[in-house]
Amino acid sequence: MTGRRAAFWTVFTLAGMWLQSFLPGVDFLAPGLILSLQEEKLRTTVILGVIWLFIQEGTGSLAFGTVVLWYALLVGLFFFGHWLFEARNFLFMMILGACLGVLHFGLMDVMTQLQDWRAAPGRVLVESIVQAVVFPVEWGLIYIIHNHLPQNGQNI
Amino acid sequence: MYLGVFTWNIRTGYVDTLASHTGLELTRWVLTPGRWVWTRLSSFWERYVYFVGVRQENETLREDLARANEELVGAREQASLAKRLTDLLLIAPPPQWTREASRVIAHRLGPNAALETFVIDKGRRSDVDVNTPVVAPEGVVGRVLRASMNAATVLMVTDPNSKIPVVSQKSRTQGILVGRGSGQPMMLQYVSLSAQVEPGEILVTTGLEGIFPQGLPLATVTNVNREGASLFLNVSAQALFDPKRLEEVALLKKAPPPKPEEEEALPDTSTKRPKGAADRKGEVKKRGRNEPPEARPQESTPKKKRGEGQ
Repeated sequence: MTGRRAAFWTVFTLAGMWLQSFLPGVDFLAPGLILSLQEEKLRTTVILGVIWLFIQEGTGSLAFGTVVLWYALLVGLFFFGHWLFEARNFLFMMILGACLGVLHFGLMDVMTQLQDWRAAPGRVLVESIVQAVVFPVEWGLIYIIHNHLPQNGQNI
Repeated sequence: MYLGVFTWNIRTGYVDTLASHTGLELTRWVLTPGRWVWTRLSSFWERYVYFVGVRQENETLREDLARANEELVGAREQASLAKRLTDLLLIAPPPQWTREASRVIAHRLGPNAALETFVIDKGRRSDVDVNTPVVAPEGVVGRVLRASMNAATVLMVTDPNSKIPVVSQKSRTQGILVGRGSGQPMMLQYVSLSAQVEPGEILVTTGLEGIFPQGLPLATVTNVNREGASLFLNVSAQALFDPKRLEEVALLKKAPPPKPEEEEALPDTSTKRPKGAADRKGEVKKRGRNEPPEARPQESTPKKKRGEGQ
């Protein structure tokens, strides 16, 4: 990874953590995972994924494991959709965002029940909708920025 | 395999601890300086950008006004901070408990934040442990859910998973106070139909759960009614603090035990325990997590499932 890309991912991570403190319940790092799968080497994606996994698990309030499933299912959905759609298509990202919204609601329900806890379903539903909207928009934004980095001379 | 690891972690908490010491700690170091930058930027906005129109009309007046406004904003902020800190200092910790102030650095964070929580800037380095009580000048706010070296996540009493035994100050009616989520009134459960509890009564902790000290104010009764054929009264209560306005809180920690020389000075009337008896798991469990770390044998303390105790 070049210095500029490393700086990009560092700024992205810090900005994502900050945005998460303004919009609780929404994952601002997930679009980065997809962008990394599209644009970076697998090793870079794994490193970024592990860092983000520990950030999300550490700041969350459920037992370790929810974000493992969350990111695993996101990657699974991406590779599954990859066969059907062009991987960099915005429509594909909107579908992926909608799937993430449903996934957030389902995962919160299952994981809180597994730990014999309760989460307000109304609030989780709102978070799911916001997640579904934020995901494609943020992906589009970071995709444009990433492809405008000096050493990434790709047409967008 | 996933379920196996998940269940193992639920029982031991090893991976949770690892996540707390990495993710939560990193987030604390990112958010804390950011707060400072945010305050500076807000101050800059107040001083310069907001008064662009005034500058166009009268440059001298603008400078005077900006200076006056800067001083006013600063003075108001200082006054507000002083009042909040004074309120915190006025919290009288119960006997054998000490108080330590802490700053709220964030509320719920990330997709995994299912519970009503916030993050504070004190952690295990300040002797903050799981289940440490957290209070505001108005009353009890919650308890520590997880902690890293310099940060901790606090579960608020308004969360549906918070269940605290309380007693009303006037009629001494006992019940379990359960949260119902942000912005929702809390419920006082298991109050018998003959109880004399009235709206306006303050609910205080009983200390029976072994986490909170006895007698801390927690909520005000807002509504009492009967519903259908229920065996219990339907009692609603409102938390005494406003979650959206929390900026500083106080952590209550048990005071350290008396020094050995002080103990020796006292007449020994009790039967001494055999050496090493305190290391047995059963006794450690009885003491609970609220014992100060000095009194707890580190190597034999069993890992406790998060959320246990309430």
